Amino acid sequence: MNKFRENPVQRALFYIILSIIIVYLLFPFYWAVNSSLKSESQLSMTPATFIPKDPVTNNVNIYWKNYKGVFANGSFVRGLFNSLIVATSTTLLALTAGSFAAFALGKLRFKGKKPSLYIILAMTMFPQVTVLSGLYAIINLLNLGALFSMVLTYMLFTLPFTTWVLTSFFRELPIEIMQSAQVDGATPFQTFRMILLPLTAPALVTTGLLSFIAAWNEYLFALTFTSIDPDARTVPVAIQYFSGEFARQEPFGEIMAAAVVVTIPIVILVLIFQKRIVAGLTAGAVKG
Amino acid sequence: MARNNSSDLAKEEQRLAYKLLIPAFLILIIIAIYPLGQVFYSSFTDREFASAKKTSFIGLQNYDKLLSFTIKKLPAEIDEETGQKIINPDTGKVEYENPIRVLPRKPYLYRPLQEFNLFGNRYVIGSADTDFIKSLYNTLVFTIVSVLLETILGLGIALVVNSEFKGRGMMRAVMLVPWAVITVVSARMWEWMFEPSRIGLFNMLFEKIGLTDGNTAFLSMSEYQLPSLIAVDVWKTTPFMALLILAGLQLIPNELYEAAEVDGANKIKQFFNITLPLLKPSLAVALIFRTLDALRVFDVFQVMLAQKRYSMASYNYFQLISGRNMGMASAIGVIIFILIFVFALLYIKVLGVETE
Repeated sequence: MNKFRENPVQRALFYIILSIIIVYLLFPFYWAVNSSLKSESQLSMTPATFIPKDPVTNNVNIYWKNYKGVFANGSFVRGLFNSLIVATSTTLLALTAGSFAAFALGKLRFKGKKPSLYIILAMTMFPQVTVLSGLYAIINLLNLGALFSMVLTYMLFTLPFTTWVLTSFFRELPIEIMQSAQVDGATPFQTFRMILLPLTAPALVTTGLLSFIAAWNEYLFALTFTSIDPDARTVPVAIQYFSGEFARQEPFGEIMAAAVVVTIPIVILVLIFQKRIVAGLTAGAVKG
Repeated sequence: MARNNSSDLAKEEQRLAYKLLIPAFLILIIIAIYPLGQVFYSSFTDREFASAKKTSFIGLQNYDKLLSFTIKKLPAEIDEETGQKIINPDTGKVEYENPIRVLPRKPYLYRPLQEFNLFGNRYVIGSADTDFIKSLYNTLVFTIVSVLLETILGLGIALVVNSEFKGRGMMRAVMLVPWAVITVVSARMWEWMFEPSRIGLFNMLFEKIGLTDGNTAFLSMSEYQLPSLIAVDVWKTTPFMALLILAGLQLIPNELYEAAEVDGANKIKQFFNITLPLLKPSLAVALIFRTLDALRVFDVFQVMLAQKRYSMASYNYFQLISGRNMGMASAIGVIIFILIFVFALLYIKVLGVETE
């Protein structure tokens, strides 16, 4: 850790660099917010303005209708709803199957543990795009609904990660807890459900959040599996195919409003849980 | 008796372990192992999606078509009357034969990919599937440049944030914002900033500082396409890189710097002698982790360029959904798999796997 020198020039330089970094990281999002508050005529002003201004009087003039348009847009609202269903189900399924497997891998003794761990680790690096054509064929064959198809296939990137991180968490829990529960007559599964699982709550929250965000973000599978069922489109696909309610050309004002609407909940979630997310991201990368 | 009891318990434990593993492994078999087998198999066939055509086994033909390329010398055009080389009167340069005439037509039609000069001769590289070779090139350039930039910028940001200053917690929160933006959304946000007239941010800024006339079509002109996409990816994933590097920085004990300070080593010396060597493991992890991710890039390419320019993944998607060429799409999938597998092996080797 660098100690801060008292030298005022260095100090000033440091804060200048820091400000540049902050502007770089936040500016594109600011620009989206700025554009979402402009009407079509304000958006086509040249040069573009840093705050929404009236084309004639040049006064600040904020236009809210894009947000109204976004929520009046049936396919976008349905997309939000679909994404919520898919991301929540993905998270729950990944956490259930993942914590079962992680308990076995982290705390129980059995033959074939090492190969199982290797398979899970290899899975965390599995390129999803490789199996795209195979999955598409299976899903068409089994005629699974698009929403269910997404939940199932999202296990490809959420389940191995969840299992891997939870396994390392289970491994660190003291074995005495299990032993004393066993002495008290609890079966291993009871010990898992009533004692160990509550202890892993922080790791469950972390991996759950990361799974949720990954599922919320996913585009390739969503685009492929909803190609025959537009009603099942999730947010990323809906934003890609966004067509405006009011605008005549590509409705960038409304697209930016939609971008802001889908980003803000995730940003809030991330800010609340930032410590856990950072821990989870680094654990996932370092260990899996 | 007691012994028997404990071995019973061990058996029970083992049985429970297998039961608990069933759901996870069942899911992975359905969505990974089985489709992977299917993809490998289909890649050797001419299977078409949703068609009545009978599928037949065609061996390595898909791979052959995707990967084969050739280099041919381009003869200069000769004037039939004079027997001289034709010189273009406007440019003063020698006119060459149309590459299509030189490139082979069998077993597939080869198309020109790139022409180049060497030792006074002109050559053309032709390939049977120029889109795929280009997508391979696009993906590799995208991966190498973006990962390199992300590492350098990420290291810089991590070093700055690792200092002691007021508002460090807030800075960390700011760093997570680009990461939290959905990739498709960030692609659309940047698409808007890249608008080809001064209603777009970049054209407005570049015109203001006198760099351009403010009408650059960043996403239509081929020389600006990859740099634009790389800019989006760098913005979106540098924070992630910085966070991983920051975690590595925090593992370096402070005493080392204090000792170096006592010995009179300056900051730059400290960076090269302490920080960089000790950071190597975390840096390697972050690097390879990002590389694997960048090699399968899809979202930014699909949203911002669609059919204009492909990454390997977006070409795979195009072949599958628009072309319905399941055999061909599968072969592309396998090639991506092998490419990533090679990098993943490197990953495991660098990291080592701790199982106990």
